[in-house]
Order: sequence, then C-alpha cells, then structure tokens
Amino acid sequence: MRIRRIQSSLIQSFAVLIVFTIVLLGAVSIYFFKKTIVGIAEQNTMQLVSQLNRVIDTYIAYMDDIALVLVNNADVRAYIDSPRASPPPLRLRIEQFLGSVTTVRKDIDGIFLLPQARSGVAAPAGPASGGTESGGTESGGTESGGPDVRSSLILAAAPGGVINPDFDFRERYGAYADELESGKAIVTSAHVENVLDDRYTWVISLLRKLKTGRREGYVMVDLNYAIIKDLCRDIRLGTSGYVFIIDRSGDIVYHPLQQLVYGGLKSEDIAGILRLRGGYLADKVDGRELLYTAADSSQTGWTVVAVSYMDELFAGFKDAEYSFLMLALFCIFVAIVVASLISMRISKPIESLRRSMQQVEGGVFDIEISVNCSNEVSQLAYDCNIALKTVRELILQNRKDGELKRVLELRALQAQINPHFLYNTLDSIIWMIELDERAQAIDVTSALAKFFRLGINRGSEIIAVRTELEYLGTYLSIQKARYKSKLDYEFAFPPEMLELKLLKLLVQPVVENAIYHGIKNKDGPGLVQVRGLLSDGAMLISVSDNGVGMNPERLEAVRQELSHPEAAELELVEERPGGSGGVGLRNVQERIRLYAGEGFGLSFESELGQGTVAWIRLPALSEAQP
Amino acid sequence: MRGRPFLLIAAAAILAALGLTLAYHHGGLAAGARAERKKVDVIFKMTDNSFWRSVADGVETAAKDFDLDVTIEAPKDETMINAQIAMLRAAVADKPAAIILAASDYRLLVPSAHEAKERGIPLVCVDSFIESDDADVKIGTDNVEAGKRCGEALARIVPPGSEVAIMSYVKGSSTAMGREAGARSVLEGTMSLLGTEYSGSESKTAFQQAEALLMQHPNLRGIAALNQPTVEGAARALVALGCSGRVALVGVDNSFEILKYVERGVIRDTIVQKPFTMGYLAVKSARELIDGGHPPRYINTGSVDVSRDNMFQSENQKLLFPVAGGS
Repeated sequence: MRIRRIQSSLIQSFAVLIVFTIVLLGAVSIYFFKKTIVGIAEQNTMQLVSQLNRVIDTYIAYMDDIALVLVNNADVRAYIDSPRASPPPLRLRIEQFLGSVTTVRKDIDGIFLLPQARSGVAAPAGPASGGTESGGTESGGTESGGPDVRSSLILAAAPGGVINPDFDFRERYGAYADELESGKAIVTSAHVENVLDDRYTWVISLLRKLKTGRREGYVMVDLNYAIIKDLCRDIRLGTSGYVFIIDRSGDIVYHPLQQLVYGGLKSEDIAGILRLRGGYLADKVDGRELLYTAADSSQTGWTVVAVSYMDELFAGFKDAEYSFLMLALFCIFVAIVVASLISMRISKPIESLRRSMQQVEGGVFDIEISVNCSNEVSQLAYDCNIALKTVRELILQNRKDGELKRVLELRALQAQINPHFLYNTLDSIIWMIELDERAQAIDVTSALAKFFRLGINRGSEIIAVRTELEYLGTYLSIQKARYKSKLDYEFAFPPEMLELKLLKLLVQPVVENAIYHGIKNKDGPGLVQVRGLLSDGAMLISVSDNGVGMNPERLEAVRQELSHPEAAELELVEERPGGSGGVGLRNVQERIRLYAGEGFGLSFESELGQGTVAWIRLPALSEAQP
Repeated sequence: MRGRPFLLIAAAAILAALGLTLAYHHGGLAAGARAERKKVDVIFKMTDNSFWRSVADGVETAAKDFDLDVTIEAPKDETMINAQIAMLRAAVADKPAAIILAASDYRLLVPSAHEAKERGIPLVCVDSFIESDDADVKIGTDNVEAGKRCGEALARIVPPGSEVAIMSYVKGSSTAMGREAGARSVLEGTMSLLGTEYSGSESKTAFQQAEALLMQHPNLRGIAALNQPTVEGAARALVALGCSGRVALVGVDNSFEILKYVERGVIRDTIVQKPFTMGYLAVKSARELIDGGHPPRYINTGSVDVSRDNMFQSENQKLLFPVAGGS
C-alpha cells in the first residue's frame, strides 16, 4: 500500500492554500487598483475637459458680447439702414471701432458688418441696387429669402484690408440663414474665412442677425482657430492621449490628427460619443483600448472629447504589478520554507516513532523510544515505551513460566521415579516368589504395573482427586503387601471433592514420607489416614500417621526446608535412605507454590512418639488452571 | 532524510523568482533601448514649397506617433538632381534605420538607391519613384490617374477638337511622366494637342512658356498644367494677358496662390493630392520595415478634384488650407 507522507501532504496543502490566498488577494487588489486608477483618470480627465469647455465658452461668450454691442450700436444700425448713403466718416468710425477691438484682442481674428443688399422679401434684385456689377446679383432673386450681401458694402475690422470680391455670403453662410432669422447667435464649426482678399484664415465664426426697421444685416465675429487649437494641443493625456472637439452633428471642430481622420487613416467612435452626450466611454479604436471622456457645451453645442489610452493609464501600474509579483513570490517562498519547517517538526518525531516501531515489528523489544519534542507525539512515545516495557516483562514472564513448567515436569518425573520404592517393591516381589506366595506376588506386580502406568502417564499434569486417590490406593496396596500388618491405611474424602483437580503425584510423596519416616520405624502396627476436606474455597488434604513423630528440632528443620523450596530447585541429588526425605517433600512444596502461588503448600504438625500430620493446602478448582 | 523534494521546491521557487526578475529587467532594458530613437533620413525634392511642407508635416506628425527621429532635407529646387544624389549618398553612408526618398529623377537616383538596398537600409519612396525594384515601399498619388482626371476636367470645359496644351515640369521625373501619360490618354484624339512644355518646376519659366503659348496660339482654348509652379506660372500668364475667360486652365496640386486663382475662376479645376497622408504613411511604413514587418509595397494615397464649388467644403478645407503652425 502506498502511504502518503504527512510531510508532503502538509506542504502540499500549505502551498495550495498559500498560493490560492495570494493569487486571490492579488487578483482582487489588482482589480480594485485598476478600477481606482480608471476612476481617478476619469475624474481628472472630466475636470480637464469641463475646464476646457468653460474656457471655450468664455471665448464664445466674449464674441457674443462683441456681436451684441455691435447689434445695439447706433452707428452700426445707421450704417445698416442705408449702407450706400452712409457718409465716409460714419464708415470710418465703425471701422476704427471694429479695429480697436481686434487690436486689443489678438484672439479675435476679424469682425465684420455685412449689410444685406435689401430686405430679402421686399423687392426683386436688380433695379434698386443701382447697377453695380457684383457676383452676388445674378442669383439673388432666384433663391427666395437668401441673404444677399454685397462684398463692396462689407465693413471689416482689418485695417486696410481689402474685401475679397469673390466672397459669397450665401455660399458660405447661407445654411445658417433660417437659424439666424430668430435673432439667436450662431457659432460655426472651424472653417476657412475668405472675406478678406488674399487671406485664408482658420476661424470659428459667431453670427448675429441685425434688423433695423428698414433693412437687415449681419454681424460676424471670427475667433482665431489657433486659440482653440493651442488650448487643445497643450493638453497631453499620458504620452499620446489628446483632446478633440466635435460639433453637434459630429463634424470635427478640432482634432490634432484631423487630416488622418479625413484620410481614413485614423478613426474615432464619433457615433458612440454623440450617443453618450457627455460622460465616459471605454472603447477600442484602431486596435487600441482607450477611454473617451466627453463633455458637452451648451454655449457652442460642441462636445469636447478627451482620449486616454488604457495602456498608458496603467503604465505606472506595471511597476506596481511587478512589485506585487515579486512580493507574492517572496511570500510563497517564505511560506513554503515555513511550511516545510513546521511539517518537519510535526512529522520528524512521528517518523522516528515509526522507525522505532518498525524495529519492534522486526522483533527488537529492548529499545527505548526517544522523541525530541514535547507534544502529543512524545506522549504517544511515552505510552509506547510503557507498552514495550509491559511486553518485555510479559516476554520475560513467559520465558520464566516456560522454564518453571519444564522444572515442574522434571520434578513430577523425579517424584514418580523413586528408585528405592521400585527396588524395595521388586525385593518384596522376589521374596514373595521365593516364599511361594504366588497370588500375592501377582497382586503386587500388577499393582506395581498399574502404579507406574498411572504415574508415568504423560498426559496432563493436572488430574482429578479421584485419579490421585486411585494412584495412591495402588501405591498403598503395594506397600501394604510389603509391610503386611504393620501398615494400615484409610481414605476419607467427601464425594464432592473427588472431581476437583489437583497436581498429580502431590499426595503420594507425602504418604511415602509418612510410611518411611513414621510407620517404618515404629514398633507395632501403623495407620496412615488420608483425609480430604473443603474449607473457604480451599482444599485440604491431610496425611496423618501414628508413627514415631518428630521432636520439635526436627519438625523445625523440616519446616525450614519447606519454607525455601527454591534452594533445592535444581539439586538432582538422590534421596539418601534414612534421610529426612526432604527432597520429595520440597518437590511437593515447590510444585504447589509454582502451581497455586503463595498461601498454599505443605505444612507439618508432629509430636514425638505420637505421630505426624501433613497438611496439603490447595485451591479448590473444578477445572485445570491454564 | 526524505524531505529533500521540498527543499527542491523551495529552490525552484527562488529560481522562478530570479528568472522573472531577470525577464522583467530585461524587458525594462529593451524598453529603455527604445527610448533611444531610431533615425530616419528623409530626402525631398525641394524646400520652401507648400506641397512639400504638407508632406513634411505628415512626416513629423508620424515621427511623433511612431517614435522615430527624422531629419528632412532637400535641394533648393527640383532640378538640382546632382545635389539630391549627393544627399542620398551621404544618407546611405550615415546608415540610418531607414531612408524616405522623393526622387527628383526616375533614373539618375537608381544607383545610390541600390547602394542603400545593398547596405540593408529599408527604402521608402514617396510621391516620385525610381526605375528599379530597390524601393521596399512606394507611396504616392497614382500620377497616371491624376493626369487623366486633369485631362477629363479640361475635356468637360472645352468643346472637343479645341486646341489645348500640356505643360509639364521635369522630363525625367516619374510623376511628370505619369501625369503627362494620363492627360494624353484623355486629350489625344479628342483635342488638338500642342507639344508639351517643361517648366523645370519653375513658375517663372512656366509663366514665360504660357505667355508664349497664348501669344503664338490665339485659338488655344485650354491648358493642363501638371504641377504647382507650372500651374501658378500659367495662371499668372492668363491673368497678365487677360485671357482667363477665353482659355480654361486646369492643374495638378494646390497652393495659396492656386486656391486664390481657383476662387477667382482663373483655374477651373485642380487635382489635389494628399501630401500630409503621403508623409504620414511613408514614416508609418518605415517604422514597420524597421520592425521587420511587411507593409504594403504600394499605397495610392489618392487625389481630389477641387473647383470653386467645393473648395470650402469642410472635408476639403483641411486638405487645401494649412492651419498656421501645423495642424
């Protein structure tokens, strides 16, 4: 199975989280930053455009002031009333007045007084005009109501300026006639003025109609186009942004690249701007993204339009973007390093714990897991150490138990192979055969066979009390055959005890001891009584004899020996005849202790000459202990 | 320790950051290098002429738009072909980013132009071309078409079979040849065509030639003058001899004087080229050539018929009347 390492998972999640956060933050802030930039640009440009509009309006208003002064001037009205009959001094006065205005104001290119030949509706052209030949007369009557201005009657501000004999008012300004009729001032788009001979100038004209009672005429004030041009040309928006002006109908009043626009080499979204009627328009013209900022002027009806190129608006933004990118990369780098460190701190102890546990898996238990940290992992390591310690102890215990079991088995083997008993019994059998006591010899021999069959049985170490008693009965019957009337025996066991379990060959050595050390040396018949009784969950088996008994010293010595059964653990010395019989008893004692633990075991009571009682105290178990 | 891959990631991040920084700075340097503007040498036919001033205006406007450093020079007048050849040679030796040339002679400038080509200098021919393929881009009026329109204008005014004359300017110039051919294609056959005069782009010479024509040919009904000084000279002669009502003059090009005569009805029709557009497009093409692009090899900037009736129409005003101080 492929396991994802904690460290890589951590770093990956950290990295994804950090990159996501930074990218999101970046995108959002860039978006708002751009929006702000555009907003500021819009505001500034609108201010600029509005201001330009105000300046132009001021000029137009000034022109209109001049026109109004003229319209209401008595001299002017007198001249319009009868242009032909006017005395030269009046003409001179008017010309001087017009001239003084143009001298003071360089922005005013020319001021003209254009009297109509006659009231358009009044009479047909020709007779009244007095026979002066002029370009205007031939078509004067045909265009009804068309203003007919004679070049020779025009008064101009230009000192010494000669009126262009080819100037045709109808041709140049006839289109405005109807509008002028209402008495309103009319502002033209930028155009070439040709009133004066040998002079073509770019101007913006303001016209007003002047009506006296008898005749009509026009007042025209020309603003030098260069004024508008310079106003607009000075405005630079970014590196290549600019300002242009269109009139009501979308015709260009001013454009820095007007020739290119007319030549089709450059385009502007005029229709879009006209629809806009002042405001902002983000557009894409000639493949470049730009922002139109337009403001309408009520005075002129013109729209001043500023063109700002988006790429230039964001020129400074490139640096900010770059800094942001660098910062973001730096943050990502730092974040990854920090994430690596953190994940290392977390995963390193786990990793070392894992390696330790791998060793344990491999069977090495005697290690101490040490983890260099102080968090949950170290606690885990501590717990693991405790578990390991327990495992170690268990293993030790297990090994010890195994050894004990082997010892137990060995002891049981020792117990069952008591060679003296075998020799003695065989001696007895020989004697019986020699004495021709055949029947008895057969009995003893078969009893001996049964005895060994039961004793050597390699089955369970734990047997029922009934079996042990059977075994004991066999044993005693053999001894009885040997000792004849000198030995008597009795069993007294409550029936409920017979099915309880106990270690095998526990009682026989004690009985053997009673016979060899109690009955054998006694004069007269002896009695061995084996009794069983249950008390407080314990099983008590007493083996009592009425043999020689022990003096207190000897009793004490026996008790001493039994209290240290381990001392004889591996002493495989043979029991010396006439000895204390300690080996067999110690064997019993040790086995009981191993099997049942402290509180159980073998104890003796004895009185010299009276006999001895051996108590075997065992747990009353109905099943074999595991 | 198996944490190595993550150190690698960190290292990769640093490298990426460094790479980006470098890329950015490199871009910055490249942008900085652009600030040092490429030089373009412009050689015109003559100085001090309204037509060429308009071309120069277009050139200068475009130079700003396309971020180029232009130097305009020209001989004093159109007949100084050797002077122009010397200028072209000097320009080639200077090795500018591009050369814009208005050739005074169709053939004589070919060798120097070829040299420019061999040196790998992009060459843009404006208004007048040369007899070779060395020009990368040719921009100008279709002169045959202009001449044809001029002839057609005359044919509209004077009745068929009338005696008419063509007044050209420099015999070897491509524009003069084209215009003459165009005018001839209309007038030959329908009119009684006199021999062609060459004014050398001198209005004085044109005046004298026109005066001679008018005096020697009392039945002359029309003159087609094919460039600005020639039209001016012819117009002056018509006015001086009081023949403006009898002889119809049509021309090519415009100037203050020509427009004055148009307004007065002396010149009945003039074919106006678009010099500003020519100059602008010449520089635009030069920029594209410098940047390794492929602009169109030939651009016809077109021409407009201007008469007294339409000279003050707003789309013509800007073409005809220069705004003081440039547009």
